Amino acid sequence: MPDKKRKLHYYPGCTLKEKTTHLDVSTYAAMEILGYELIEPKNWTCCGAEFPLNEEKIIGLTAPIRILRQVKIEGGDKVFTVCSFCFNVLKRANEAIMSDSLKHKRINAFLKDDISIDRDSGEKTTDFKQYNGDVNVLHLLEFIRDWVGYEKIRSLIKRDLSGIKVVPYYGCRLLRPKGKMAIDEPEDPSIFEEFLENIGCEVIDFPFKQECCGSYLSLSMPDAASEASYNILRSAKLSGADMLALSCPLCYYNLDTRQDRIKENFPDSPEIPVLFFTQLLAWALGVDEEVLGLDQHYCNPRTALGIDESEVKK
Amino acid sequence: MRIKLKFDENEKKFVDRVSELSGENIYSCYQCGRCSAGCPFAFEMDILPNQLIRLVQMGLKEELLGSKALFLCASCFTCQARCPKGINIASIAEAARDLIEPKGKDYFGPEEVPPELADELPQQALVSVFRKFSK
Repeated sequence: MPDKKRKLHYYPGCTLKEKTTHLDVSTYAAMEILGYELIEPKNWTCCGAEFPLNEEKIIGLTAPIRILRQVKIEGGDKVFTVCSFCFNVLKRANEAIMSDSLKHKRINAFLKDDISIDRDSGEKTTDFKQYNGDVNVLHLLEFIRDWVGYEKIRSLIKRDLSGIKVVPYYGCRLLRPKGKMAIDEPEDPSIFEEFLENIGCEVIDFPFKQECCGSYLSLSMPDAASEASYNILRSAKLSGADMLALSCPLCYYNLDTRQDRIKENFPDSPEIPVLFFTQLLAWALGVDEEVLGLDQHYCNPRTALGIDESEVKK
Repeated sequence: MRIKLKFDENEKKFVDRVSELSGENIYSCYQCGRCSAGCPFAFEMDILPNQLIRLVQMGLKEELLGSKALFLCASCFTCQARCPKGINIASIAEAARDLIEPKGKDYFGPEEVPPELADELPQQALVSVFRKFSK
């Protein structure tokens, strides 16, 4: 008899529903095989993308706290994200409300006047529930390590990825600020490597795995971001990798979608496929190629995944 | 760069206010330079992250406002992870930006987004760049 699916709150964030749908879809596909039914908090909004570093910009914390409060109202005690930015903002906002009584008081005061309008029914809800930081915010890599367990993943693997050489790319938001994210040691992380090994890939180390790709500077200072991204891609290629795996949609934009712009500045920039870790997970778990959204990539990852191009269905 | 040291009430107020907004102890920086060694955008900066802190310590608002470095921070927190005193320069830069640009002028606003990129830009990039560099 198949196991009953366990319900789990999942916060996708704005980019996953519009620009990087392959990250969202591969997450759903992989989590279903692992035995989870994902629930998105009702009426979720953008988390704000950036945790406000100015102590007085408290209003920037209301959106993430409103999302977490909704998870609590729906009976959830944890929520996971795959986007590193969402993870960073939700986790730090949660920590801020727990460690700072003034912030706790002020954010709850903002939320007290909230009128929530249901998107489907148009129904207004005004009942106030105080939020005290009691929802556990997790990244999917962390959830897999601490809750699912690598053993379970290994037992469900359908495809052999052993010939694929992958470099894990952490970027910035997953690990830092030091002491706040607590998912792994920021200067010497291993969670991504362990994940990749357990789904069967050959993991390659490279020196730029924690370097910043340029983040939002790809809009305001595109040349600086191109150089930072070029250094990462070049290092990955020189390390002998077939592909680079990551979790953040903004890193994906800088390292994959912008590869043509990087080439304008650096003609020797290597073409290297960039995949979301959930795509690799779903692929290892036997999910169909169509579901992975491989045609959304600038750099075609099919060959690196061992897919025979001539057999690809039209 | 030759800087004449003077520390009047106005400059002290600025330093205190940056400390308040950033939650960081500005004076705990002893200029070891590890932040600048690790900063992924130091190559593009006119002054280095440790020099930026030095300008804040001395309350030199004009020099700060004129520096490109203040707007090259991607808040990646590499400096914070490596700082022996645990100082978060991204917070200090954000506080300084918020204090010295009070006139409602955007450093990077919606009108500067290239329209030809509208279809490919992830929402996350737009929201974060405006959160950092717009009023």
